[in-house]
Amino acid sequence: MLSVKSILNIEDLSLEDIDLVLSNTDSFLEVLGRDLKKVPTLRGKTIINLFFEPSTRTKTSFELAAKRMNADLVNFSAPASSLKKGESIIDTVKTIIAMKVDLIIVRHPDSGAAKFIFIKTNIPVINAGDGKNEHPTQALLDLHTIKKRFKDFKKVKVAIVGDILNSRVARSNIKLFKKVGFDVSVVSPPMLLPENMDYFNVDIKNNIDDVIGEVDVIYMLRMQFERHNRELYPSVREYNEYLSLNMDRVSKMKKESIVMHPGPVNRGIEISEEVMNLSGKGSDRLLINTQVTYGVAVRMALLYLLLGQ
Amino acid sequence: MKNNLSEYKNILIKSGKVIDPVRKKEFDSDIFIKEGRISKIDKKIEFENLDIADKNDIFVIDASGFIISPGFVDMHVHLRDPGNEDEEDIKSGISAALKGGITAIACMPNTEPPIDSEHLVKYIIESAAKLDYKIFPIAAMTKKIKGKEITEFGILKRAGAIALSDDGRCVANSRIMYEIMEYARQFKLLLILHEEDYSFSEYGLVHEGYFSSKLGLDGISYLSEDLVVARDIILAKYTGARIHITHVSSKNSVKMIKKAKENDVNITCDVTPHHLFFNDSCLTDFNTNFKVKPPIRSEEDRKAIIAGIKEGVIDAVASDHAPHLETEKNTTFKEASFGAIGLETLFSACYTKLYKQEGIKLPDVISLFTSSPSNILDIESGSLKIGNKADITIFNPDKINKIRKQDFISKSANSPFIGESLFGEVVYTINNGKLVFKND
Amino acid sequence: MKEKTLKEKALILNEIDIDRVLKRISHEILERNKGSKNLVFIGIQKRGVPLAKRISKSIDDLEKSNIKVGKLDITFYRDDIGKKIKPEVEITDIPFEIVDKDIILVDDVLYTGRTIRASLDAIIDFGRPKSIQLVVLIDRGHRELPIRADYVGKNIPTSEDEFVDVKLKEVDSIDRVTICEKI
Repeated sequence: MLSVKSILNIEDLSLEDIDLVLSNTDSFLEVLGRDLKKVPTLRGKTIINLFFEPSTRTKTSFELAAKRMNADLVNFSAPASSLKKGESIIDTVKTIIAMKVDLIIVRHPDSGAAKFIFIKTNIPVINAGDGKNEHPTQALLDLHTIKKRFKDFKKVKVAIVGDILNSRVARSNIKLFKKVGFDVSVVSPPMLLPENMDYFNVDIKNNIDDVIGEVDVIYMLRMQFERHNRELYPSVREYNEYLSLNMDRVSKMKKESIVMHPGPVNRGIEISEEVMNLSGKGSDRLLINTQVTYGVAVRMALLYLLLGQ
Repeated sequence: MKNNLSEYKNILIKSGKVIDPVRKKEFDSDIFIKEGRISKIDKKIEFENLDIADKNDIFVIDASGFIISPGFVDMHVHLRDPGNEDEEDIKSGISAALKGGITAIACMPNTEPPIDSEHLVKYIIESAAKLDYKIFPIAAMTKKIKGKEITEFGILKRAGAIALSDDGRCVANSRIMYEIMEYARQFKLLLILHEEDYSFSEYGLVHEGYFSSKLGLDGISYLSEDLVVARDIILAKYTGARIHITHVSSKNSVKMIKKAKENDVNITCDVTPHHLFFNDSCLTDFNTNFKVKPPIRSEEDRKAIIAGIKEGVIDAVASDHAPHLETEKNTTFKEASFGAIGLETLFSACYTKLYKQEGIKLPDVISLFTSSPSNILDIESGSLKIGNKADITIFNPDKINKIRKQDFISKSANSPFIGESLFGEVVYTINNGKLVFKND
Repeated sequence: MKEKTLKEKALILNEIDIDRVLKRISHEILERNKGSKNLVFIGIQKRGVPLAKRISKSIDDLEKSNIKVGKLDITFYRDDIGKKIKPEVEITDIPFEIVDKDIILVDDVLYTGRTIRASLDAIIDFGRPKSIQLVVLIDRGHRELPIRADYVGKNIPTSEDEFVDVKLKEVDSIDRVTICEKI
């Protein structure tokens, strides 16, 4: 059994929880490999996909996960209100309580929103991304991807590249990777890093070339232009110069090393066209689509574990 | 026995311990209040010997085990009146103040509309007078608190403005700030300054540091405060204006103010109870009652504030009482409004942290919210002078209260102290010679 | 958990008994299906899997065949999700076609019938077999669903508060079946 009622952040998860989620993920991957990719596990359970922020991938991934376990899933899209004394998130919360659902999947542009909804509803919540805070299911699927790839996965060296400041994926992944003992470094210019990195306690580099030949996993973050209040970085050209993955850099990577990205990739920014278009053997190290597949399985495992309790 | 205790003209306080924050002394004594004025402070005052014809018109307070202090003064309060009376109004603000042992407040001008005109200054003073209470209005230093055009300092002062402030906003334009200081000097008006460089705080929600990194909340660097404190010290030194930095939050500000005082800059400062009580680890539950401006900063900053109080760099503690409706706080951290209420917890928070935990001498602690703000504002409060109208607060030093949301009598309950156990409870508040609050 | 709350009452089958019973069942299966040509085995996790392997091996020895054996975990098909949780899900592995096959479904103990109900649902999700036949080592009664076994190792009448403890070498490093009392 999980030690938590909700999946809000990485910190609350114990190592046993993480193991349990990942071992169940394998079972669900088997289900996803069948012709009939559906099991009746969550028949009669109602799940709400509460999205205050546009999303296609994560929303669809949760929707597939729920439907492949026969749960009833309803999509509820609400605008994140910014009215001072008008309709607010608490009104939406009250509506959700009245709907008597069994589990809430939340995405919200504000940090802490998932926890807020859990505290107010006391219904199990899965955080599908809250502001710049966390995206724990992404981190879990990323960990699973790495675990499946590396036999001695305890010693994996990971570099996370890009906008750490505005990225909830970076926050969750750094926390989770450090928790399971990976050697984690970040590659980012000062303006895309939090002022205070003490919490993360990782190696900081400014140039991707400083790590490219040494790491097992190069994790490229999506540039979150929509979360910038103004242009924080001078240009794409400069980004390409110091932070992007191109063919030249791929050629310097260790033989078994892999490339990950939470998607969707800004082609030509984080990863060059050429690298994205790699095919055949060269594309083996690109695990971006594998991450998507594992995402459904990880989310099935989480739904199963939370609703089974 | 009179139905309403405030009808008693004479009050005899027996067997308490008296704190004199002016002389920094504490001693066992009785106090007699005759016709509303402090008439005698003596080791033993016998009821029988009092020269009052109608002995039934003397209310006797047995203060054994209690501490007697001049009524408290809170020099930084948002009353939300006029404009947002659903959050607080003059009457409810006074009730909350009296429960907190506070008998004089200075209120900030960022109401709707802002207090930037003669008639609004008078509105505040007259409303308070009707309720037999002392409210000292602080008027805006720029029109509509927009930081652009200077208000009528002369007329505002004549109307009764005790000081000038754009609190809640900071005058970003250095030239305008310079002109404000020059002009304020002409009228010997005190400037109370909220220091914030918006280029560092515009999108910020919390202190930029360990916990903002951890929680993905946009940060407000201490540079936001430090840069403007530095600017205003330079300008005050140059102009000779008298400035008071309110709600100091960063260690560098404390350091700079200390230096400025040594360099004869005419400067004083205050801190809030929440900045001396909490550090930014309080943010981990995204509790919006901790969303305040300036943000609650690191433990290092908090320690510097405590040290600043001990060294006398920090002159006063003021609540920055900022009431907000439930709906403004019952939301995500980003959506929530900045501000916390503080009138009802000002005393117990200071007493618990500064006296009980930090071991600062009680008269020194009490002076932070009695004689010291009175000196800064140049008002006749915060002392036990014989012949003065009695403003006296009596508290039980041993009582521990767990702060609960439902116990607040303010119209708002956005207190960061909810859930904390605080020492010290106000038992009686005597305001303007009348016993107006008794804790049952 | 089990060890703490169960007290052994009687030995039902020892190693030799189990071997004999499985051999008998192998013959019955062959007789009823007129050979092994269309058979595939599916063992229910956990102890149905080694039983399925043993029976199929014994048929292979007799028929010189190579019968395929799959593993099935029925956790995802249970009807008591939310009441009891069994978080550790075992592997489901049916790496062969089951359409039009005669499936021999194997479990250790037949009790309420709910596990078998879930297994039937699970198997149907993989395709439409020609038939499904059920083998159990022990039938202890107390059915809650209209389900019966085609091949039974031993019928043991039990009371509700008793527990049939099946131990198999592959899982428990010993072969024995006992009746235990819940205490």
